[in-house]
Amino acid sequence: MSTNLIAITMPKWGLSMKEGSILKWIKSNGDNISKGDMILEIETEKVVNEMESPEDGKILKICANEGETVPVGSLIAVCGKKDSSDDEIDSFIEEFNLNFKADINLEENEEDRNEKIKVSDLEINFIKNINSNKENILFIHGFGGDLNNWMFNQNELSEKFNTYAIDIPGHGMSEKNIHNSTLDELANLISSFCIANDIKSVNLVGHSFGAGISIKTAVLYPDLINSLTLISPIGLGKEIDSVYLENFINAESRRDLKKEIEKLYFNSNIITRDMLNEVLKFLRIDNVQTTLTKIQNEIIDNGEQKNNLIDEINSIKVPVCVVWGKEDQIIPSNHHQVLNDKIKIIIEKECGHMAHIEKPSVVNDAIKSIIVG
Amino acid sequence: MPIKTYREAINEALLQEMKKDENVVVIGEDVAGGAGTNGEQDAWGGVLGVTKGLLKHFGRERIIDTPITETAIMGMASGAALTGLRPVAELMFVDFMGVCFDQILNQTAKFRYMFGGKAITPLTIRTMYGGGLRAASQHSQCLYPMFTHVPGIKVVLPSNPYDAKGLLIQSIRDNDPVIFMEHKNLYDTSGDVPDESYSIPFGEANFTREGKDLTFIAMGQTVGICNNVADTLKKEGKTCTVLDLRTLSPLDEDSILEAAEETGKVVIVDESYPRCNVATDISALICQNSFDSLKAGIKMVTPPHTPVPFSPPLEDLYLPSEEKVLNAAKEIL
Repeated sequence: MSTNLIAITMPKWGLSMKEGSILKWIKSNGDNISKGDMILEIETEKVVNEMESPEDGKILKICANEGETVPVGSLIAVCGKKDSSDDEIDSFIEEFNLNFKADINLEENEEDRNEKIKVSDLEINFIKNINSNKENILFIHGFGGDLNNWMFNQNELSEKFNTYAIDIPGHGMSEKNIHNSTLDELANLISSFCIANDIKSVNLVGHSFGAGISIKTAVLYPDLINSLTLISPIGLGKEIDSVYLENFINAESRRDLKKEIEKLYFNSNIITRDMLNEVLKFLRIDNVQTTLTKIQNEIIDNGEQKNNLIDEINSIKVPVCVVWGKEDQIIPSNHHQVLNDKIKIIIEKECGHMAHIEKPSVVNDAIKSIIVG
Repeated sequence: MPIKTYREAINEALLQEMKKDENVVVIGEDVAGGAGTNGEQDAWGGVLGVTKGLLKHFGRERIIDTPITETAIMGMASGAALTGLRPVAELMFVDFMGVCFDQILNQTAKFRYMFGGKAITPLTIRTMYGGGLRAASQHSQCLYPMFTHVPGIKVVLPSNPYDAKGLLIQSIRDNDPVIFMEHKNLYDTSGDVPDESYSIPFGEANFTREGKDLTFIAMGQTVGICNNVADTLKKEGKTCTVLDLRTLSPLDEDSILEAAEETGKVVIVDESYPRCNVATDISALICQNSFDSLKAGIKMVTPPHTPVPFSPPLEDLYLPSEEKVLNAAKEIL
């Protein structure tokens, strides 16, 4: 078989994704593509997003047409560094499909990967992916999020790193009744979580409030932390959309919630009803609204950000990278101006508060380069 | 997330609300079911085991077995609700409502209105409905249109375990009478159900599938049928929306109209008798408000206007099936 040919397959965005639908091919047969180019739009139950090309090359044959729904891992296009004969392409497809059937059978046995661990008297839910790599990554989501926010990042980075993603207390499937939620206490919890999992050193990836927790952890436990990648962090300025937090907590219907969730993204087409339903399911659990209000009070005081982490972040010795969507409507991206010149700053255009979802390859590359150095 | 059956989800909702609020009591025929068995551990917990285990936690003071008299159950539960408890009364089969309909229709449903808002009636009536169990004409009916017709009663038809738990908790916490209707065929279905308590507000329909070519509107057991048909059609290149009404009273009119307008083609699947049922009501609603968006006549898949047959081949022929729903969809696609 020719080594020229590369399979482009239906990606797996998050653990629950079983299949995806091809909404639109942005590139066509014969188009040259570079790694990172948007090549097609895919719709899953949870999200609509563009898929980036995994390699440089040329699209030789599209195998799944617009409107088709195919299982995760199926061949959707064949790509090559140079042209190939039709026979070569056909035998490549045939061989791929022959091997792929075996994978489907394995998929059916896939178990629930969520695990629980008791940390500081709280039951913490997390997903780990360990491949005896040297470096560990721990993902910490933001206010109102959960570990599924890393659906475009954790799987991808698990090839080269051991990855952990946690639900912070009050969120996801972690304990909902919490007494304290200051950044210091949550940093202690991150440290205890690492001890409980026998993690001696870790690279933190934090988003928004989770980025604030990451900064605190790096300051309080410098020996534990190898690097920080922070997405739209809190604590670097006073401005924040406090109305968003208030309305998010109190949203009673899909309609109410949609108005708020739209503020998170540059391109709100990404939002599906299912995504909104998942958030509503979370908000409707007993005590969640009270808990979120407690956390909100740790983020906001009188309509402004309560935490000032500028001196702390600038004093961190390990490599730090900050990624910010230029059009972030929750925390303005110009807050990066307070950062010292040792910190790597990436301001991403056409991107809102959720860079890890809207521009996953930018975030993933940033994480890789900050860890590898 | 933990996977639980519909039966377990209902049991868990009762258990958690009874632990949370000591005013919640369960009343009905065989709900404890200890009498005559070898000790309370073996108690049946209702004719289909839905309340199994509750007796052990709460004792006979709060899990109250009654004689076979629906009139007494509803009378007792309504009075208890009026005077401060939050009873969950079980009317084993909805078909038996004829015996106690005066209590429901003329008393419970009207207390708040006739006492000038000074009385609240936080009563939940749990009951089984629907065909498919070869249980003949008097144990297989749906009858939810009759409750939906009466102002003052909320009507809830959960289609899956997640909704069953959240809607039952909401029913118990609600200050008005609620009839909570469980389809017999759903008890062994399973799905994701959080361990924590949570509630789902009434009057919010749920989109279980989303598509562009056709909209199915369904309730309770027929939601699963429509989901399967939508999945079949997807393989043939047609995408369909499925709207699960969840509650018939209050009714989420906005979502119904939104779902109908998005595709312009509507199939309503309702297992109740075809005259004056939910399908006809929703069809009228869509015609009144969204007529210009329709690209085809509305299709209704319902049983014929006859009692539910006892003969298995006839019962199968009688009930809405995936085949019938698929054919109805294909006629207008």
